[in-house]
Amino acid sequence: MDEARRWLERIRALPIPPRFRIMNVCGGHERTISMAGLRSLLPAGIELIPGPGCPVCVCPEEDIFQAIRLALDEKVTLVAFGDMLRVPVNGPRSEPRSLEEARAAGADVRPVASPMEAVRIARDTPGRETVFFAAGFETTMAPVAAMLAEGVPENLSILLSGRKTWPAVAMLLADGQKPGQQPGFDALIAPGHVSTIMGPEEWRFVPGQYGLPTAVAGFQNASLLAAIYSALRQAQSGRIFLDNCYANVAHPGGNPQAQALLDQVMTVGDANWRGIGTIAGSGFALQPAYGAQDARRRFPDCSDPQRRRAGEMPPGCACAQVVLGQIYPNQCPLYGRACQPRHPIGPCMVSDEGACRIWWATGVREPVSPESVSSVESP
Amino acid sequence: MCLGIPMQIEHIDGLIARCQARGIARDVNLMLMQGAPLSPGDFVMVHVGYAIERIDDQAARTAWETYDAMVAGDSDHA
Repeated sequence: MDEARRWLERIRALPIPPRFRIMNVCGGHERTISMAGLRSLLPAGIELIPGPGCPVCVCPEEDIFQAIRLALDEKVTLVAFGDMLRVPVNGPRSEPRSLEEARAAGADVRPVASPMEAVRIARDTPGRETVFFAAGFETTMAPVAAMLAEGVPENLSILLSGRKTWPAVAMLLADGQKPGQQPGFDALIAPGHVSTIMGPEEWRFVPGQYGLPTAVAGFQNASLLAAIYSALRQAQSGRIFLDNCYANVAHPGGNPQAQALLDQVMTVGDANWRGIGTIAGSGFALQPAYGAQDARRRFPDCSDPQRRRAGEMPPGCACAQVVLGQIYPNQCPLYGRACQPRHPIGPCMVSDEGACRIWWATGVREPVSPESVSSVESP
Repeated sequence: MCLGIPMQIEHIDGLIARCQARGIARDVNLMLMQGAPLSPGDFVMVHVGYAIERIDDQAARTAWETYDAMVAGDSDHA
């Protein structure tokens, strides 16, 4: 705590620009920022914007729909990380609209905390198909790759919905360079555990190509405040670079074994992000050598191409804008009204990494009008 | 879902390490750590049951303090 206080004092001693927007792209970062109340402790002018940091929130609606159909129609045991079970899809109220509702309708849907649990469940039920619906960023895809490389029972297949984080940031920055557009943030806090796997160097393009201060941060107050200080100091000095404020965990080059397993098991291609659309080079898929474990190949009838469309958040839900950092959670017209954790409308209110869920958990109850981001009251 | 929990290795059996954190013991997969020499007593950052990096005891301690604060915050606002 003393270290965090020292970083805060250093930040307060800096000249602060009238407006300095720092985006984070990790639900874990947003959770620490909100839980510790860092926004209220920082000098006026510094805005901390939650960005694309929640893999469950951007998991395409058609993938969730496919998982629901697999559980209901193919009578498989459907296992998924717990966050996925309550994420709703669009559809008539008469039909199950989440994996949790599918379970209530009789499907065998089980939450798992680890890929090893998925393997165990498949081994324990050899006569029955088990499908592991695996959503996540690079940090989670590496263990999924390790699971497949180690070998899985024949009756286990994977419905993969993995995403890479940096292409989403690259898209935001590229869009910000279009005529009349701005990137929407002045500095970036890069994700700590994605960098642990892939190497901090993946984020060099942000200072290198776009000239924005960037710092990798961990999940402690001190690490995040150090990253905020670094971003401010870089902007003030004009010496823009990639800083690493999580150097005791995220080592240069990342985890080479994890990267080798990702390359061995998965390919990378264009992929749909819920409510956002296709982002080039942002999606994981299984290598042909692991095609036998691909649930999309094993159960082709459960895919519904009609559902593959852009902008498929529920009506009125502004999750996509929240994920892109265009508005704060409580600027969504549904926040705290129709959409609350007990009856979520959009995925950002479901996942523990969703910005809406985090803001609600830290006591932000009041919606605000969806005006400029700078008018929002920080939690 | 990118949350990592620091755990201390108690013993290793092939690719599985018995690890503990604050008195809670779990089997942790070491598939992502092949090539990194690990021994009982070492700390690792664990994500969804897999060790993703070796860390020092100071990093483990500060992470545990953060998670304790988060759990306290969660129960305050449940």
